[in-house]
Amino acid sequence: MSTRPPKVVVSEVSVTFESHGRSVLALDRISLQAHAGEFLCIVGPSGSGKSTLLRVLAGLLRQSAGDVRIEADRPGTPLTAMVFQEHALLPWRTVRDNVTFGLENRGVGRAERQARAREMLAMVGLTRFAQHYPHQLSGGMKQRVGIARALANDPEVLLMDEPLAALDAQTRTIMQEELLRIWATLGKTVVYVTHSLEEALLLGDRIVLLTARPGRVSQVYSVDLGRPRGLEVRGSPTYGALLEKIWSQLREEVARAVAEDRGGEHA
Amino acid sequence: MRALGRWLGVHWIGVGSPLLLLVAWEWASATGLLREAFFPRPSTIVVHLRHLAADGTLWGHGAMTLVRIGWAFALAAVLGVGVGLAMGLWRRLREGLDPVFAVIYPIPSVLFLPLVSFLVPPGEIALVVTTAVTSFFLIAFTTTHGVRQIDRLVVEAAVHYGARGWRLFATVLLPGALPFIFTGLRLGLGFALIVVVAVEIVSTSRGLGALLWLSWQILKVEDMYATFFVIALLGAVLSYGLAALRTRLLPWVQDVAERSG
Repeated sequence: MSTRPPKVVVSEVSVTFESHGRSVLALDRISLQAHAGEFLCIVGPSGSGKSTLLRVLAGLLRQSAGDVRIEADRPGTPLTAMVFQEHALLPWRTVRDNVTFGLENRGVGRAERQARAREMLAMVGLTRFAQHYPHQLSGGMKQRVGIARALANDPEVLLMDEPLAALDAQTRTIMQEELLRIWATLGKTVVYVTHSLEEALLLGDRIVLLTARPGRVSQVYSVDLGRPRGLEVRGSPTYGALLEKIWSQLREEVARAVAEDRGGEHA
Repeated sequence: MRALGRWLGVHWIGVGSPLLLLVAWEWASATGLLREAFFPRPSTIVVHLRHLAADGTLWGHGAMTLVRIGWAFALAAVLGVGVGLAMGLWRRLREGLDPVFAVIYPIPSVLFLPLVSFLVPPGEIALVVTTAVTSFFLIAFTTTHGVRQIDRLVVEAAVHYGARGWRLFATVLLPGALPFIFTGLRLGLGFALIVVVAVEIVSTSRGLGALLWLSWQILKVEDMYATFFVIALLGAVLSYGLAALRTRLLPWVQDVAERSG
């Protein structure tokens, strides 16, 4: 895996927030890499700064220290495109116009925009809903639009911030398989934040485990479960062993986070 | 005809409640429960209404009032939406204007007539400007709030996908505020009608307000009620017209109550 060139290089990134006149360290010297075409999952207890890290990668937040480098192979396309947890679609735009939004802002011509929207909507199975408004769609469908919107921009790296967390269990399962299919088709580099270890094991090539506040890299695990991968992978002994191993580490982090919250209450 | 039947099937409460009120009024005046000298029967009022329409009185006064509302509403809408958007976008402007507005807004608009008459030519222009004052504040308030209530995450996503400056305004901030702007316009239009009638009563001899007041002073009570009905109808038509326009122009707005109902 290390033979592939690095696509995302995060070195010693720290993020400090100012809150009520105190500065709070959210991320503490995070270093990690994602290779070209890799599906990298980031897990950690609540408050470990998973989303903060993603926002730094997306350019929505500036790190207080350290360096983020994303290799651009194709000039003219954006470095990152983000799929947001609460989908964050524009309610006043149809599904199709949501998908073409980024292209429109970059001045891509109308014909090309429409062609890309058709292609992406076909990929996420929403061709028939191109003229619908977001409020007419189910939660799963909205998130498909969010994915199509991100992919339409053809970014160097696809960032996903717990995109399936708000969905019901059945829809989530279907969407996980969809994601695997889309990723296999496009071969994009993906950085995927989730709080579900099962999801990370199903989707990821590697899993980065962050510690509780402040977020540090605790461990990086390789998921050697082969590809293409489907839900049946959950029955394999490797899966069970890896889940057990990561969960025992994560449990410690969660316990620490909870203890710290309790301590904070009494302080 | 069948379409009308279906429409009535859905909206029978809305149509039925004012009709029921009129029937009750008719009955109360006919039986002497209400004094007919002060509360003439609706059927008598309708007869007077037809006379007023036939001899042109109603059209002359009505047109006058409509033109005034039109100008006042246009003035209030343009300035209100403009100032409201600016206040929504720039915190310092909002912080500066909020207290000023809070002091001026509750003053009954009619009281501005003398003040306005010093500032602009008295007569029609002063009348229109006075009518616009309260509407302006309502529209500016709702527009400001409309900008401020836009989901931060949606704005962040739009910025992430490359919307900046004018494009961010035109594709995110303005459409996001539009439902509130429409609410403000509807309120503002209603208030324009309220205020124009009041101003017409105190300052002029033409317009529906003047007609109503004159009818009352010479005790043509039926004419007063007839004018009253026309004003009420005008208000309802304007309000529902703007509501229909909103549904037509903003198909993406979901009605929470209708959805859960």
